[in-house]
Amino acid sequence: MATFMIYSSKEKQALELITAAKSVGAAAVKAVCINDEAQANALAAAGAEVLLINNDAISLADVAAVASALGQVAAQLGADTILLSSDRRGKEAAGRLAAILDAGCLTDISAIKANGDKIECQRNALGGATVATQYIASDKKIIAIRPKTFDAPGAGSGSVNAMTVDVKASAVKLIETKTRGGDSVDIEAAEALVVVGQGLNSKDDLPAVEALAKKLGGEVACSKPVATDKKWLSEERIVGLSGKKCKPELAIILGISGQVQFTVGIRDAKVIVAVNSDENATINGMADYILTADMHDVIKEMNSSL
Amino acid sequence: MDFSLSKEQLMIQGMAKEFAEKYIEPVAEQIDRENKIPDNILKGLAELDLFGIPYDEAYGGADGGYDGYVLAMEQIGKASGGVAMTISAHSLALSAISFFGTEELKKKYMTPSCKGEHIASFAFTEPATGSDPKSLTTTAKKVGNEYVINGTKRFISNANWPGVIVVFAIDDQTNKPSAFLIDKLCEGYSISEPWDKIGMHGGMLLDVYLNDVKVPLENMLGGPSMGYPILQCGISFGKVGVSSTALGGTLAAYEEAMKYATEKMHRDAPIAKFQAMQLRLADLAIKYETARWMTYRLGWLANNVKDPRAFARDAALTKTFVCDNMVDCARIAMDVHGSYGLMNDYKISRIWKDSIIGPQIEGVADMQKMIVAGVNLAERK
Amino acid sequence: MNIVVAMKQVPDLQQVRIRNREPVFTDVPLVLGNIDKNALEAAVAIKESGDANVIALSAGNEDVEDTIKEALAAGADEAFLVLDDKLNGAESGVVAQVLAAAVKKIDDVGLILFGEGSGDNYSGQVGSRVAELLGLPQVAYASALELKGDKALVTRSLEDCTEIVEVTLPAVVTVLSDINEARIPSVTQILKAGKKPKEVLELDEVGVKIPPAASVVTVSNLAPETERKRIVVKSVAELIQSLTTEGVIGR
Repeated sequence: MATFMIYSSKEKQALELITAAKSVGAAAVKAVCINDEAQANALAAAGAEVLLINNDAISLADVAAVASALGQVAAQLGADTILLSSDRRGKEAAGRLAAILDAGCLTDISAIKANGDKIECQRNALGGATVATQYIASDKKIIAIRPKTFDAPGAGSGSVNAMTVDVKASAVKLIETKTRGGDSVDIEAAEALVVVGQGLNSKDDLPAVEALAKKLGGEVACSKPVATDKKWLSEERIVGLSGKKCKPELAIILGISGQVQFTVGIRDAKVIVAVNSDENATINGMADYILTADMHDVIKEMNSSL
Repeated sequence: MDFSLSKEQLMIQGMAKEFAEKYIEPVAEQIDRENKIPDNILKGLAELDLFGIPYDEAYGGADGGYDGYVLAMEQIGKASGGVAMTISAHSLALSAISFFGTEELKKKYMTPSCKGEHIASFAFTEPATGSDPKSLTTTAKKVGNEYVINGTKRFISNANWPGVIVVFAIDDQTNKPSAFLIDKLCEGYSISEPWDKIGMHGGMLLDVYLNDVKVPLENMLGGPSMGYPILQCGISFGKVGVSSTALGGTLAAYEEAMKYATEKMHRDAPIAKFQAMQLRLADLAIKYETARWMTYRLGWLANNVKDPRAFARDAALTKTFVCDNMVDCARIAMDVHGSYGLMNDYKISRIWKDSIIGPQIEGVADMQKMIVAGVNLAERK
Repeated sequence: MNIVVAMKQVPDLQQVRIRNREPVFTDVPLVLGNIDKNALEAAVAIKESGDANVIALSAGNEDVEDTIKEALAAGADEAFLVLDDKLNGAESGVVAQVLAAAVKKIDDVGLILFGEGSGDNYSGQVGSRVAELLGLPQVAYASALELKGDKALVTRSLEDCTEIVEVTLPAVVTVLSDINEARIPSVTQILKAGKKPKEVLELDEVGVKIPPAASVVTVSNLAPETERKRIVVKSVAELIQSLTTEGVIGR
């Protein structure tokens, strides 16, 4: 029986990893927290056996120290299956930890499933053109799972125990942290998305789009140029290969032609509506409902009828 | 026989494709509308050595061969016929200088041209003739250490930019055409407004007026009375560029048709599902592949010209086929688009207008066929 | 100082076709990964503003000898290659061992740069693995990079914040594609690439053995099925009616 250990620098994602471990048959889940007592308590309240490391010498900015700490705990626990969150911090740690433990490693996992004693993982490959199903055959396994692949677990009764590790003097010094400006929207969590692209005439059209998203109980998202070139929306709202990969119940895609770099971020939506003035837009090929019309008229009419 | 490209050839093709897609394609419609190539595009082409691919490094070229030239020009022509036509006409002049010029002339005139600081022109055509040496009216009169040139040249590409122009004129010493290298924009050189031509916008055609233009004796290209051989030989190299430009347009027509046929829906299915469309897509593929290998081969032949007459024939038959073929492909792709293709919003409308240029320039199709038949009949024992 | 840029040969993804949901690689040209080119550009930018020698490092089959010309054309001064057919498609762990062993054979290495993920697999592990194997500090997801004496100032771009960190050299840095725009090489640079210095080693010369059993097994790799309804609706009213029936609005 595998011994599961999970770690994420973020509480929400660590909670999801508990669910992930249980979904593939983990009886008990050991969780590592580094310098984060609040997270430790939250994970314990969700049933994890938490090992809390309090050590000022470990900075999250120094992934060598983080990976070293995780490696030491894994060794002490005899953990062989380590789940990490596939956010950037998690991915950066994954490779480093894999080298420490001589483990097979998969990152960017969007689904996991137990098949006998194997954990089958799914991930995008070839730039989103294909989805690969893979499993790790080595004794030690590291699986980095995309945020929001799993829900948070229900309440449980876990424990928090202190753990000590030794880390080397750091060669990485954090000078400054800048939080991203203002927009803390989480489009990956939204049930409905109203996605706008280059068909949007101007920034002045956004309030109507926002109103529609609100009526649908969702959020506004966009294709990359709307955020990076025109800067009408924050980069948090980009859908696509270089943005978020979302799977809402409903995606209403307005004025977007539908290149693969974009569609890879929305193709998992349950229902896709494409509104485009060009009846030949590529996006129509991947839509459930196609409405050929001016997006601005459609927004107005939907806002008044919903 | 191995019809594959070397890594270097693939890289030249890839480089031109990347530049064309990133920088030319986004402004291709604007170039068409304004009949002007933005300066940053010309600068970019120069930085990538695209004004001097086949020429010797000693004269500022990249030494990439005409095969490399063909591969790059196809990609540029796919994005904008006008941009490709500009390079093609420039290269026609440089090829003539490269083939017939003295060391001094090559150093002086090719170097800034290959680097894209200058854009070259080639001027045979006049109001009264496109290719007949006996009908030329431009005159070159020897006065002391100079020739004094007077006349009017018609439909001259790149005549508005600084650089060298190869001018054909009746030499008063021999009464036959000689070719002269003249600095454009020199004293006595003036130009008309650009002709408002049907397609290949951005590649401008102008008339050139030469009024007592003085050139030193050493600027005669290839020697006295060499005008006609230089025209025949130079224009054969020019056809490498014209063919590559048309090949690029053919590829663009094919890709636009494929794109439209797989996106346009009819009764809930893309029109590509219908046999009538499939037959057209197949025709386009057949026509592109045929033109492609003929043009690539012409590039290779241009690298090793041993018999100028045989090369003239191969250039003529390739240019004739590939340019006519682009017209056919533009028409077929237009049929795939239906009435949408008539709208300037669709790229095929521009390709269609560009396509008709090829068969008419650098020797109309009938002239080319006469070259082919003439060479073949002469070779028959 | 030598800057090593680790680069991976991948199939040109634009030319990979899908047939019966399977990717088809036949006749697809091999190229260097796109983000790898941003890593190279970052190295060349440092070289141009100071004094450094840029070495393109790659491990793979013998085709890499041709493919690496892309890096030599785009500003790398020399190539260091470990070539073996067995390295074609080798997994991240093995590639990292080979690259780490190769770096050890290069003197005076100040920086080892990677793209944040390879063009084909994009798992983003190899840079971190190499850093660990070499015992070097690392900063991943760099959106800016600047050398300051024996240190590098790196901007690490995370989902919710950016960190500016100072890392002591030698170090491993993996870069994001938006750190720069990779230059397009000119015809002359392309044609001179093959003449630049190149060191080619075989697998046993770097002392790495490929384990007989793979640590990661691929069960399948298929294009996702996109069976969408593609129902054309004529009006907003009809659309709202359909979405209500689907149960995705008016919940």
